[in-house]
Order: sequence, then C-alpha cells, then structure tokens
Amino acid sequence: MSTLKHKGKGPQSLTANELREGMNVWLTEDFNWSRKYSDALQTEDESVIEKMQVKGEADENENLVVGVYFIDVEPDTGLPVRYREKFRVKGPSYDTADELGLQKVK
Amino acid sequence: MYRYDEFDHEVVQSRVKQFTAQVERRLDGRLTEAQFRPLRLMNGLYLQLHAYMLRVAVPYGTLSSKQMRQLAMIADKYDRGYGHITTRQNVQFNWPELTDVPDILQDLADVEMHGFQTSGNCIRNVTSDPYAGATAEEIEDPRPTAELLRQWSTLHPEFAFLPRKFKIAVVASKTDRAVIRAHDIGIEIVKNEAGEVGYHIIVGGGLGRTPIIGQTLRAFLPREELLPYLEATLRVYNRYGRRDNKYKARIKILVTETGIEEFTKQVEDEYATLEPLDIAVSPEEVARITAYFADPEFEKLPAHNDSYKAKLLDDKDFALWAENNLAEHKQDGYAIVNISLKPLDLAPGDITAEQMRAVADLADEYSFSEIRTTHQQNIVLPHVKKSDLYALYEELKKVKLAADNIGLISDIICCPGMDFCALATARSIPVSQAIAQRFSDPARQRAIGEMQIKISGCINACGHHHVGHIGILGLEKAGVEFYQVKLGGDASENAAVGKVTGPGFSQEELVDGIERLVDYYLEVREDEERFIDSFNRLGMAPFKEALYAA
Repeated sequence: MSTLKHKGKGPQSLTANELREGMNVWLTEDFNWSRKYSDALQTEDESVIEKMQVKGEADENENLVVGVYFIDVEPDTGLPVRYREKFRVKGPSYDTADELGLQKVK
Repeated sequence: MYRYDEFDHEVVQSRVKQFTAQVERRLDGRLTEAQFRPLRLMNGLYLQLHAYMLRVAVPYGTLSSKQMRQLAMIADKYDRGYGHITTRQNVQFNWPELTDVPDILQDLADVEMHGFQTSGNCIRNVTSDPYAGATAEEIEDPRPTAELLRQWSTLHPEFAFLPRKFKIAVVASKTDRAVIRAHDIGIEIVKNEAGEVGYHIIVGGGLGRTPIIGQTLRAFLPREELLPYLEATLRVYNRYGRRDNKYKARIKILVTETGIEEFTKQVEDEYATLEPLDIAVSPEEVARITAYFADPEFEKLPAHNDSYKAKLLDDKDFALWAENNLAEHKQDGYAIVNISLKPLDLAPGDITAEQMRAVADLADEYSFSEIRTTHQQNIVLPHVKKSDLYALYEELKKVKLAADNIGLISDIICCPGMDFCALATARSIPVSQAIAQRFSDPARQRAIGEMQIKISGCINACGHHHVGHIGILGLEKAGVEFYQVKLGGDASENAAVGKVTGPGFSQEELVDGIERLVDYYLEVREDEERFIDSFNRLGMAPFKEALYAA
C-alpha cells in the first residue's frame, strides 16, 4: 500500500473515509469522492498523481475526508493489489444487516 | 445491580458534553484528525475497515433490561439494526456515523452506559463471570470487586497512558468462565486456611501475538489490600514496561523478561512504599457497593419442579435445549439460562435489535430484569425459575434465540475478522459458519460433546484462538486467505496455549481437516473423555496426522 506520499508502483487510486459518515470513498476522474470503486480514477501519470495528492490533502484539510492514501492497482483487472484493499472495495462478505434485510430506522 | 452515584453520573454526562463539542470542533476543522483520534478512541469510537465502529462498555458483562432496550434503540436508530457481543463482554456497533455519535453517547448516558476505556492504553473494562451472583460454585459474588475496580480504574490519572492496554478479569469460582489466566491481571477470589476471603492475583497473562499464561503474583492477598497492591503492580508496569515497541509493551512481556520472582519483588518493594490507607477503600464503602449486588428476592421453592420435569419428558427439543443451555443455580427451584448467539446461519455474537428487545422483555418477565453478556459471545439470564423455563424457551424460539448448542462444536468464538476489522488479515465469520454448517446435525454435535473452537482473523487474537481446543488463525499471503490450526489450547482454570500443527489450509481444506480431527477423536476417546482430554492423553502426533491426512 502506498501512503499519501505516493511511492507506489503501477496504476494508482486515491482512497479515504468520509469524515462525517465514515464510509470508504475513492477519488473519481472529476476529482470528487465516490463510494463506488468503479468510479475511481486510476492512473500512472505522475502529473495526475501529484494533483490527486494535492486534492486529497486539500479535502482532508477541508474536513471532508480522513485517512487519505494511495493504493496500488492491478493493471490487468483494475482491482486493488492488496487483499485488504480488495475487501474495502467489496464491503463485508457477511453482514447480519444484509443477511436479514435490516436497516437504519430513522 | 449497581446504580451510578452522583459522581458517576456527573462524569458520564460531562464526557458526553465534552465529546459533543469535540465532534463539532472536528467537523469544522478546529481539531485535526491527529488531535481528534485519541479523543474519539477514549470514547470507544474506532475507524474500521469500512466505517466507524463504536464499542460500548458493559462493566463485568452485567446489563439491565432497560440498558438492553436502549442498545436496541441505538441499533435501530443509528446503526443497521443489530449489535455484536465481543469477547470482552462489550457491545459493538459496526456502522455508526460520526455526526450521530454524540447523540448515541447521550442515549447511552441516559441508561448509565458509555464507551470509556474500551480503547487506548488504559485499564480496560473489567470482565467477570457471567454466572456471578447466581452460581453455587462461587465463594462470593465477584461483581462488587469488579465494580470496585471499575471505580478505581475509571479515568485513573496515573494509568491513562500505560505502555499498552491493560485487561483485568475477576472470578470467584474454581471454574474459570472469564479466562483470567489470559489477562494482564487475573483475580480469583479465594479463601485461605483460616477461612478468610481474599484474592489470588495472577499477572502477565495474555493472548495476541505472544500468548502467555499468567503466573501467580500473590497466592493470597487480604481483601483490604486489593487496590493498593494493584496500584503498586500498575506502577511497576508503568515504570518498566516497554514503550519503544508496541509488540513488546504488554505486562506479559515485562513479567517474562524480568522473571516472575524479580517482578514480584519489584511489586512488593513498590507496595512497601505506598500508604495503603490512602488508596484502600473503607469497609463501609465496600459494604455500600456490595449492597447493590444483593440477591434479588428469590422465592423459596423446592429444588425440583414437577411441571418442568413433565415438559422435559413431553418435548424432546426442550429437553435438549435444557441439557445444554442451563446451569445449576445456587437457589433451589431456579436455573441459570444461557441464550446462544450462535445460530447456524448468523455471525457468532451478533444480536438484532428485535432480539435485544425480546431478551429485555424476557429478563423483566423471568429474571429480575438482569442480563449478562459472556466472553463466549452469548447471553445469560441469571435467575430463572424452573417452572418458567418452558415458557421462556417458547418465547426464545419465536425470536430465533433457542439454539441449543452452548459448549458444543458450533458454539464458536469468532472475531469480526476481515469482514469488519481494519487490523485483520483474513475473514473469520465465513469460516465459523462453514464449520457450524458441517457439524449442523444436533445428534452429531452432542456425540462430540464439549468442544471449544475459537477463530481469530489476525495475530492479535481477539477470537482467543490460542486457548481454543481447536484454535484457528486466519492469515493472508499473496492475496489468498489461509488458516493455521492450533490444538490443545484451554481457556478454563486449566489454561493452556495450543500448539501450532503445521502448514495452513484453505477454508475448504480446513473444514475437511477439522472433520477428520473430530472423527479421529470419536474413534479414540475413552469413556466420557472430552476432545481436550483425549488430546492431552494422546499428544499432538496422532491428531496432527488426522488433520493432514488428506
């Protein structure tokens, strides 16, 4: 896993958690944050990566997201390289709420 | 049950106000994440793999029906309709939003609950025997001692920044239902030869990446010396415990590296410098606390109940449930009821809001409004009349809480694993479900008898795999999960750390291997021998051969 100081190899995506709701998000091509990994910007272009880093730091400073870092992406599949990151993309393979159709009752 | 005094009330309410303001400052940027993180952790709020997670303290695993109803309300209103019982008797919510947490803490405070000391390098929530106050085995109810420790350790200024977290468990029976030998300090309430009640102090136990069984620090500590002596022990740990390497920072490492004799000397030397009366609690205060744990008003009943006996004969399923899920009560005509949170199709320890409300209602109806959580990730209703057992069982069935597998192979301890935890290296919930499914036949489970399978999704060992009869550790290499097996661990008063068998398995291979292991045990066991007894008699070699005999 790369840190925010980009040192990774191959294609990179930028990920974080929403500060308010806590959910995983990835930086999109239009430099917004999406909860869907399929929207994630993936690039090897160092100049773009530099802009991603600036955006990540700015949004952390703006208190939109927390824990921003780069992840390495598999060029052939487009999925994160690290197993842990694959799990962040997919969400829990088991969640009692999903299993039983439970949800927040506001 | 203990009721908060004015001081407790004030502290909890103040903390809610503080944290509410801290969240506001975080959201508007007056606090950075680096500044906010320790503050949220002090209130049990973690940022996990997918979202925030809130851990709520359940002191010594004791809950009132009112508190359980509030947890249900929180699960519904702020989370996804369920909660999770942890191996330290706490409750976790997997999906809270930061903006809701101040309201959640206020709702918790309204029923005398909070998330203090469920995280961080402090003295964590004190755990105890879920049968406390109900079992005839105990010398006395351990909860007043646990409550005393809660009061002493809550926001203790000297022990708020220890080298590492510090876990204490208390029991008062020879049967250890709190795994005291795997705690930083384990306390067993004992009687000396003169018949005086005091404490057997065990130190330096722990699981994690370096599993160690605790050793005796004092075989008998007079009752009034408890707090000063623990204060001395914590001072020694605070002074000499390592702070340069978090993996070597727990007291178990200090005790091992120092040697128990030298460590004991250091504690005794420190103890000699204390003014114990400055720290010790007066007998009057102990009596005040103890009074809160007085027995409920039990009815005088015969030991045997005819209607209960008749139902056992009438309803085979009820009889099976009673055989596994009940324990002997100290009071004639009553039983301790274990409610299994290990149905075959759901995650170990998870309980829905609807089930929480049902348990609260049943506690009101049948158990003096008292509920316990267990380190086995189940629930206990401690005081149920035998004449009410059948009605209770029927109600439990309606909310799918009548699984009759307490202590059997499907009563698996399992951490949240990679499905939720930021530290995990592999999933544990699907493994527990696969094993439970493989052994789903109730007759087969009973034929196997007492079996403790414990699963952790990483080396931090929250699933207690080191002390499972069969312990399973989930790891990952090159994007593939695999599972290492340990055998011969024991979480009881005969505590032992299991031994690694050898190379790991895929999930499918693992379940097949465990089946071979269990079949081998059934072949070789003598009389009523449990799996762990057969293992201890025959040793690792034949079991290992069975496990790997693909």
